[in-house]
Amino acid sequence: MKLKRGYFEDIRIFRNRASRFWTFLFILVLALLPFFIKAYYLSVINLMALNVIVALGLNVLVGNTGQISLGHAGFVAIGAYSGALLMQLGLPFVPALLLAALLTALIGAFLGIPSLRLEGPYLSIVTLGFGLAVMVIIGRMDVFGGRTGMSVPKLKLGWTGLPYDTALYYVFTITTVVLVIITIILLKSRIGRAFQAIRDSDIAASVIGINVSHYKTFSFAISAFYAGIAGCLWGLYLQFVTPGTFSFMMSIIFLATIVLGGLGSVTGSVLGAIVMTYLGLQLENIVGVPVLGDVIVAFSDSLMNTSGIANIKWVLTGLILIGVILFEPMGLNGLWLRVKRYWRLWPF
Amino acid sequence: MISQLLVNALVAGSIYALIALSMSIIYKASEIPNFAQGEMAMFSTYITFILLSVLGWPFLYALAGTLVFAFCLGFLFEFIFIRRAKEPNLLGFIIITLGFQMVLYGLAGWKWGSDQRTFSLPFSESEVVFQTESVVLTEHNLASIVLAILVMAGLYLLLEHTNLGLAMKASQQNVRAAKFNGIPTNRILGISFGISSIVGAIAGVLVAPISTLDPSMMWDPLLKGFAAAVLGGMKSLHGVVIGGLLLGLVENLFGFYISLEFKSIVAFAIIMLVLFIKPSGLFDKHYVRKV
Amino acid sequence: MSLFSLNHISKSFGGVQALSDLSFELEEGEIFSVIGPNGAGKSTIFNCISGLYTPDEGSIQLAEKEITGWAPHRIARAGIARTFQNLELFRYLTAVDNLLLGRHIHMQASLLRILAMPFRRSRAAREEIAHRHKVEEIIEFLELEAYRDRPVFALPYGIQKLLELGRALALEPKILLLDEPAAGLNNEERQDMIFWIKDIRDQLGVTVIVIEHNMELVKDISDRVLALNFGRMIATGQVLEVLEHEEVRKAYLGEIPETT
Repeated sequence: MKLKRGYFEDIRIFRNRASRFWTFLFILVLALLPFFIKAYYLSVINLMALNVIVALGLNVLVGNTGQISLGHAGFVAIGAYSGALLMQLGLPFVPALLLAALLTALIGAFLGIPSLRLEGPYLSIVTLGFGLAVMVIIGRMDVFGGRTGMSVPKLKLGWTGLPYDTALYYVFTITTVVLVIITIILLKSRIGRAFQAIRDSDIAASVIGINVSHYKTFSFAISAFYAGIAGCLWGLYLQFVTPGTFSFMMSIIFLATIVLGGLGSVTGSVLGAIVMTYLGLQLENIVGVPVLGDVIVAFSDSLMNTSGIANIKWVLTGLILIGVILFEPMGLNGLWLRVKRYWRLWPF
Repeated sequence: MISQLLVNALVAGSIYALIALSMSIIYKASEIPNFAQGEMAMFSTYITFILLSVLGWPFLYALAGTLVFAFCLGFLFEFIFIRRAKEPNLLGFIIITLGFQMVLYGLAGWKWGSDQRTFSLPFSESEVVFQTESVVLTEHNLASIVLAILVMAGLYLLLEHTNLGLAMKASQQNVRAAKFNGIPTNRILGISFGISSIVGAIAGVLVAPISTLDPSMMWDPLLKGFAAAVLGGMKSLHGVVIGGLLLGLVENLFGFYISLEFKSIVAFAIIMLVLFIKPSGLFDKHYVRKV
Repeated sequence: MSLFSLNHISKSFGGVQALSDLSFELEEGEIFSVIGPNGAGKSTIFNCISGLYTPDEGSIQLAEKEITGWAPHRIARAGIARTFQNLELFRYLTAVDNLLLGRHIHMQASLLRILAMPFRRSRAAREEIAHRHKVEEIIEFLELEAYRDRPVFALPYGIQKLLELGRALALEPKILLLDEPAAGLNNEERQDMIFWIKDIRDQLGVTVIVIEHNMELVKDISDRVLALNFGRMIATGQVLEVLEHEEVRKAYLGEIPETT
């Protein structure tokens, strides 16, 4: 049997008509959403978008290239602070965004240099140290307002004729959609393949002609670039940034996001970021949840401490990390693929 | 002044060395960098606090109780989580330790996080044991150095002169060969985690009086411990001790002569520097993968 | 002038002399076998040639160019491809992706061009499609159609072996290094492997160096053989000459048996 195939199918963004249809529908819904829902929900989606962007970049590094970063909050911080500074200096938004992201990418590439010689455990320690060091350094620099932080100027979005929240929502979602598409293309290209080759066997990658150090550095740079963009937008979202915002725990939550979503998968990054953001918000007022909230308060009263309830967030994040690795190493994406396969065969 | 600096360096170095040792014991046994190490120590320190201040146990009993708790914590961590990893690879293990770290952090914050604690140990930071014109040695200083030496001596005896130590070494060298020779390698790994957790707990008890007792108290010391371990070469126990002392010295010299503000970054700078120049650390052999 | 030459190569690991003063030359289009007992240093030769190890002494030349000490990826680009004794495939990628990775050195599209790939007429898309055609040729050549979209870890051992050969071929190398191509294969698979190695030389004109324990395969395919023991060459020349060589027999059998 010989099938004459057009190989273009293999590199298209959408595998088939159905997925293209659903994607366009999804984008359409995103575009119309501001006219139907309250501003609060828009800001929830904005937060999700920020997490999606970081997750996309981190997943390229961790899931596709097989490196590790425990300091991604550091990159986000660099993006946020440099973006804020550039905009304060009067640079328009788009150039400021790109410049901040490029700066972050440059630092990412620099941090990637030790990765050329290091195996996993050492790299994880370096990146951990990096994340902490960034916060200390920024916290001591007067340009960035030191420990008190600095305010981020609002965007001039009046020309759109939309309320500020709505306009900001469009900025966030458009950026996110563009980055999702870029990531998909990148991973289908020779560059994405080279990343995955390095993940699976760096020795084999080098003998088939892949410049391993070049690509590892590049992967760090890309990952940092995404984090830089997310950081710059994060500043706009919060309107005020402090060193404490971008803590070590934030880095771990980013990691939890892609682990939960599914390592090495764009769908996973998106799913993971949406779910983690939602969970994070829900957990902040878990006491308000009908039945569960009462149970937790009662439990806290008798065994733990009611004033520390917010810490449930960390316990749950930790359990998610462990649980996914122990029971579903492919994360939500793996779960999704399995459900899809099940329904395709149903009812036979 | 310089002699006071040396005392401070020795004290800090001893604590870093303990943390680095606890890290290194697990790394040697399993090649896993245990990011839960700090939180495990923090949790154990809270147990000391409760035994001591809430239940009113005498210090030595409380310490003994803590060590038993720490051992169980480490052993159970390995038994319940590490051993059950489905497709064990380095990334998976790192994520499990991070997850455990978060769980412990969250639990501690939930239970104890909101209150400020004062921690009264029999060795206080303000009581002076020994004083000359140039040097002040507090009880805490002395206790840190003595406890660190005791732990190191104990570890040395355990690893070099007992059957358990021999079995641990054998499993590190070659798990399969050890298993074929009747060594219960799984249990040995659990015990390694337990011992490491004990060493970490002692470090925690020593850290608490000089910082505050709160859930994030071990973050900074953990990074220092990692730096010391990297400096010495993660797999060399005497190397990491020297690494810890060296880090204590460099950090204090830097803080005194250059900048107190950026003292906390020295550890990170050292990690970077060592890894750039000699990735395997000062005292470990470089490892080349065979094809 | 020969296509490839190894001149007085020595390599030691912490006091163990893995290779000492080894030299040989290759003519274009020949199949050259390296034999020797376990630990004779055979794989070390390949690791030196492909740049994973740097020899302590000596030089390696490819088409008059000095390639000693080059990084592995440069050597691959210069036209030397290899397989491994214990398979080094990209386990979580599909067979097609593994072969496409073999085409990596022939792909040029820059990052910016790649971003235009979703457009059918873009340069990156055309390049990608052209390489997918090339890969399809290899799939046909090695009869791997049935496995093309399966992840490698799910493939049988014999197929993985073949796939690794295919990936090396995808580089369109001048010289192909095969490290124990028949190890772990059954009789039938080994016959196929012999057939393919010959085909690769005859149809594609690739020069091949083979490390192999299986004497049947060595006899069948080799133009010339080099026998190695303790890192030293003990004999080289025509197949039968070398196999009959006294020292070679001693190396393999421990002592010289009485030939009848």
